[in-house]
Amino acid sequence: MLQVKNLHASVGDKEILKGLNIEVNAGEIHAIMGPNGSGKSTLSAVLAGRDEYEVTAGEVVYLGKELLELNPEERSWEGIFLAFQYPVEIPGVSNINFLKTAINERRKYFKQDPIAAKDFLKMVKEKSALVELSDKLKNRSVNVGFSGGEKKRNEIFQMAMLEPKLSILDETDSGLDIDALKIVAHGVNTLKSKDNATIVITHYQRLLDYIIPDFVHVLYDGRIIKTGGKELALELEEKGYDWLIKEEA
Amino acid sequence: MVVLKENNLLNSLTKMGVDLGAKDQAFELLSGLEFPTRRTEDWRYTSVKKILKKNYVQYNEAEHVVLSNEIVPSLDAYNIVLVNGVYSQELSDVNFPDEVVVDTFQNAMKLHSSLIHNTFNLIAKNKEEVFTALNTSYFLEGVFIHIPKKVKLEKRIHVIHVNTKNNVVSNLRLLIVADSFSEVGVIQSFASVNAIECLTNSVTEVFVKENAKVVLDKVQSEEPNNNLISTVQVNQKSNSTFKINTATVSGDFVRNGINIDVDGENCTSEMNGLYMQKGIQHVDNHTKVSHLKPNCTSFELYKGVLRDKSTGVFNGKVIVEVDAQKIEAYQQNKNIILSREATMNAKPELEIFADDVKCSHGTTTGQFDEEAIFYLQTRGISKESAKNLLIEAFADEVLDKVDSDELRIWVKEKLG
Repeated sequence: MLQVKNLHASVGDKEILKGLNIEVNAGEIHAIMGPNGSGKSTLSAVLAGRDEYEVTAGEVVYLGKELLELNPEERSWEGIFLAFQYPVEIPGVSNINFLKTAINERRKYFKQDPIAAKDFLKMVKEKSALVELSDKLKNRSVNVGFSGGEKKRNEIFQMAMLEPKLSILDETDSGLDIDALKIVAHGVNTLKSKDNATIVITHYQRLLDYIIPDFVHVLYDGRIIKTGGKELALELEEKGYDWLIKEEA
Repeated sequence: MVVLKENNLLNSLTKMGVDLGAKDQAFELLSGLEFPTRRTEDWRYTSVKKILKKNYVQYNEAEHVVLSNEIVPSLDAYNIVLVNGVYSQELSDVNFPDEVVVDTFQNAMKLHSSLIHNTFNLIAKNKEEVFTALNTSYFLEGVFIHIPKKVKLEKRIHVIHVNTKNNVVSNLRLLIVADSFSEVGVIQSFASVNAIECLTNSVTEVFVKENAKVVLDKVQSEEPNNNLISTVQVNQKSNSTFKINTATVSGDFVRNGINIDVDGENCTSEMNGLYMQKGIQHVDNHTKVSHLKPNCTSFELYKGVLRDKSTGVFNGKVIVEVDAQKIEAYQQNKNIILSREATMNAKPELEIFADDVKCSHGTTTGQFDEEAIFYLQTRGISKESAKNLLIEAFADEVLDKVDSDELRIWVKEKLG
């Protein structure tokens, strides 16, 4: 589904990704772990199409297409979803209204008619139940006045509504208490299928108790320095990153 | 004074129509005043040079015009129509319930002369403001609205001013007297049909008596290449409520002046404004609320979106006099600039002489929230749609202050 080859990316003069390789296939969950400043958030930003990041070398192929050629909305229409570490508050734009616009713009891209109001409402009802998002929150301005946990649940609600092929969860566990974490993980696990894939970017092993990865990658200084199975996360939890970094050096 | 005598605007004007005994005095004042230049503090960012240079035509007979919803909002309201500054009998409603008076000064003088004499020109600032003195000297006809004691007029009154010829100059005068415990909503529309290079100079005096409530909505949708100066002078007595919403949809030169004297306790005053500018449009909103008595609250929210080479001015003055304790005054001005060539000049001014007051003001001028746009894009909303969603959300905060659904929807559609 996704092949990232020798990816180099910079912000200003600073190179952050320095030859990153990763391959993700349908039906898989990949966890990317690493210490602060290793390039985790840069990777998610580059994949989603944030334009402050300049790709200086390498390529990203997604479902046979050159991903980096597409703008962020086209990536979304093609099935990429980024759950933000810090979801943005948008006063005056209602959660529901914006999702309807989003769904209809994608349908337009695929030359489909706008979604029927009845179908949309049914979908909202079903998908919001998945992450226990109340009616009140659904109708409010996007993320405005939401608690940290509510914001993250709203991200997963949007993910459920947009039915992506490749989801990237950027530090979705940060700022979550254990109950919210379970709800979010339950949402992600329910949405998992053999046709879609998930990349979980995280600092801590904790989330991986609930979202079980097929692969764990360690990102350090802009490159993947180790790849293993789910047991690697436990090892990192126990021993930290230093032993790997020393090995790398 | 030389300036005054030699400009084409004044040469275009002739004194005619109804005289309520104020014209000569105002004319005398006018000859002692000068038109503002860039050195005049209140007009620093708004030049009237171009306006004064033009030649205008003054009309004294109402043209026939068909008013579609395209030109002015078709509302469920009593309509009073002025065409090229002249009252149109043909298009105006004449029957009103509960002894409410809505009529020309000329007609209203027959039955209500003492009421008119006791209010007309009483609060107009002829001495300080040249365009007010000009209006008082040259207004052709005016509209008098009187809401008697305890009458709550459910249907709104829609005063429509429409220009249908090029180069029309008109001095419009509106007098609203809302007696104690009365309630009224007035909409003032400024529009044009195939008319350019016009100058409309409008002065409205509003008396909000004890426990009365007046809501004034101003809708400015003249075609480009037109000029509008609109001054609203308000006097509020105890326990009264006054709200004014100003929506500037089009027109190339717009200057709005609002002066509210809160001359009673426990009053609420509210001023909201929305301007969405493009091309070379220039919109200047000058507001002033003077708290003269204690225990009152004033709210102010002005928001604008500036495109292309448009320029905007916001100047909001709040004065709290020494005896006006326990005043709460809130003011906000927010602007989004969408072009490198657009300019906004925003200035809040607080002059507080009392010590027990709660006042806040804030002004922001900036570009779009890029984070929000990116967030919306990642959800599959194109950049263009994302911007439109954000502009709509930005404007909605002001539009939500408009009580009339049909008016709000009309303005929203016009703003596109």
